[in-house]
Amino acid sequence: MTPSVIGEGAPSRGRTFSPFTSNLNFRKYLPALPLLLIVGYFFLYPITKLVYVAFLSNENTLTLSNFTTAFKDPYKTGFINSIKIGITSAVIAAIPGAIAAYFIESKGPSKLRRTVAVMSGVLANTGGVPLAFMFMAAIGIQGQLTKILKAAGWDIYSGQFSLGTFTGLLIVYLYFQLPLMVIIFSPAIVALRREWVEAAYNLGADKVEYWRRIGFPLLFPSFIGSLLLLFASGFSAYATANALTVGNLPLTPLQIGGLLDGNVSATQLNLGKALSSLMILISAFAVVPYLVIQRRTARWQKR
Amino acid sequence: MKSSKIALPLTLAILGFFVFVPMLSAFEFSIRTPAKGGYGWDNYIWAVTEEEFLHYIFRSGGLAFLTVLITLLLLVPTITWLHLVQSPLRVAIDTVSLLPLVIPVVAFAVGAQISLPEFIQSTVLELPFLYFVLALPYAYRSLDIGLNAIPLKTLTEAARSAGANWVRTITSVIIPAIRSSVMATIAITFALSIGEYTLTVLLHWDTFPTWVTYVAQDNILGAIAISMMSLVIPFVILTGITLLLPERSNRGRR
Repeated sequence: MTPSVIGEGAPSRGRTFSPFTSNLNFRKYLPALPLLLIVGYFFLYPITKLVYVAFLSNENTLTLSNFTTAFKDPYKTGFINSIKIGITSAVIAAIPGAIAAYFIESKGPSKLRRTVAVMSGVLANTGGVPLAFMFMAAIGIQGQLTKILKAAGWDIYSGQFSLGTFTGLLIVYLYFQLPLMVIIFSPAIVALRREWVEAAYNLGADKVEYWRRIGFPLLFPSFIGSLLLLFASGFSAYATANALTVGNLPLTPLQIGGLLDGNVSATQLNLGKALSSLMILISAFAVVPYLVIQRRTARWQKR
Repeated sequence: MKSSKIALPLTLAILGFFVFVPMLSAFEFSIRTPAKGGYGWDNYIWAVTEEEFLHYIFRSGGLAFLTVLITLLLLVPTITWLHLVQSPLRVAIDTVSLLPLVIPVVAFAVGAQISLPEFIQSTVLELPFLYFVLALPYAYRSLDIGLNAIPLKTLTEAARSAGANWVRTITSVIIPAIRSSVMATIAITFALSIGEYTLTVLLHWDTFPTWVTYVAQDNILGAIAISMMSLVIPFVILTGITLLLPERSNRGRR
């Protein structure tokens, strides 16, 4: 049974003088123990060990050599490409995603909003082979849209284009980045109160002025936060890139996957761990500010 | 205003085009029957009669079910307790529960592989615990918001003085009071674990999402049919779950 201070019912005025204060302290932690044990063992411990091992040489001595290799090619190019695709896919998805979230949340009927929420949830989780198939079927060499465009006089394969290139991958990434933006930006739209629009109009503001001085400043932090999370999502995506590229486009998640599988051999056994640690660091630069912004905006979003 | 009337349909049309063109293109491929020409459900029939189909459906479904169970069992009592008492742990647990968002899944897979002992890594039951970690930020936040919105102290005191023990208080008072948060938690945890690919494949396990890769090697149209199902099945299940939800409150929206 979960013990609790208030569970005993009686007011606890005398309790501070009780000789069992140590027992009380114990009670302050005990119910959280199962969660802490599981999270500690299956999450904190593996991540700590990962970062520690990244600093070990093949002979288990402390070294920085894994990191110096990680900053050289081909791994350097991998990082540059991954960061580039993270930024580009986030920026391209964020604005249409935010606008779509605005129209759906502020103008859509309840049924539509719920359907969009479920669909976005499923679509934001698509990836890997199924997503690759969808785009091969649409804009692959034998794709439907490719054929239609060709009939209309635009052969998208006349140049360098293929789904395995940076541009190809970028288009495919938008398929999960856009719904992700709709999901994480919608709460900010929902929290914009109708009263604020009315108050602004009553004070003589027009639509442009309302957006310039109230709507936009209120939504801007959430927008930046969402953009950061989208970057992290595009930066660390593995499954889709793995299904579409054939080693022609160096990306850090794929390089780590290759090292983990043993498909790629490296003289440094712990190189993959160093690459992983650097990925965590880069991802933290985006996600930690997102979480801070999220916490701050949650204050005014509370009803 | 005219502009605001066409804005929503226009948005939906553009989004719909981007979402449905690839989906319908793949669907068209999946109902092709090259052997006899024309269209038919042959690829779908082939897929569901494959021996592995049911095996992997049950395996992925079972793992997702276990993940949901672990998530609810660990989180509902703990977060309830954190809301009731002034524990110094609250801030720490709040923060830790958001940390999985920071860790790229590939890095998490490497960490799990080098640190979990053999007896854990040799059973597929390690996956629900790892999926639990991946879903933790979403599940935690959803339950936390739900518990913030109800008069938790009053409810528990009432239940306790009516003679309910803690298990009963949680199952028949708290969970019904926050059922839309619980449903949302179930939905996100289920969706995440039934479709998880990266962690699963890097730890060398086979589930429904990774099975498609093997099928693609010898029956591409069958693999496309399976891919279509892997999109439609979660969609149907999640729509079912959300239809069970009460309407989202319109208070303050008017």
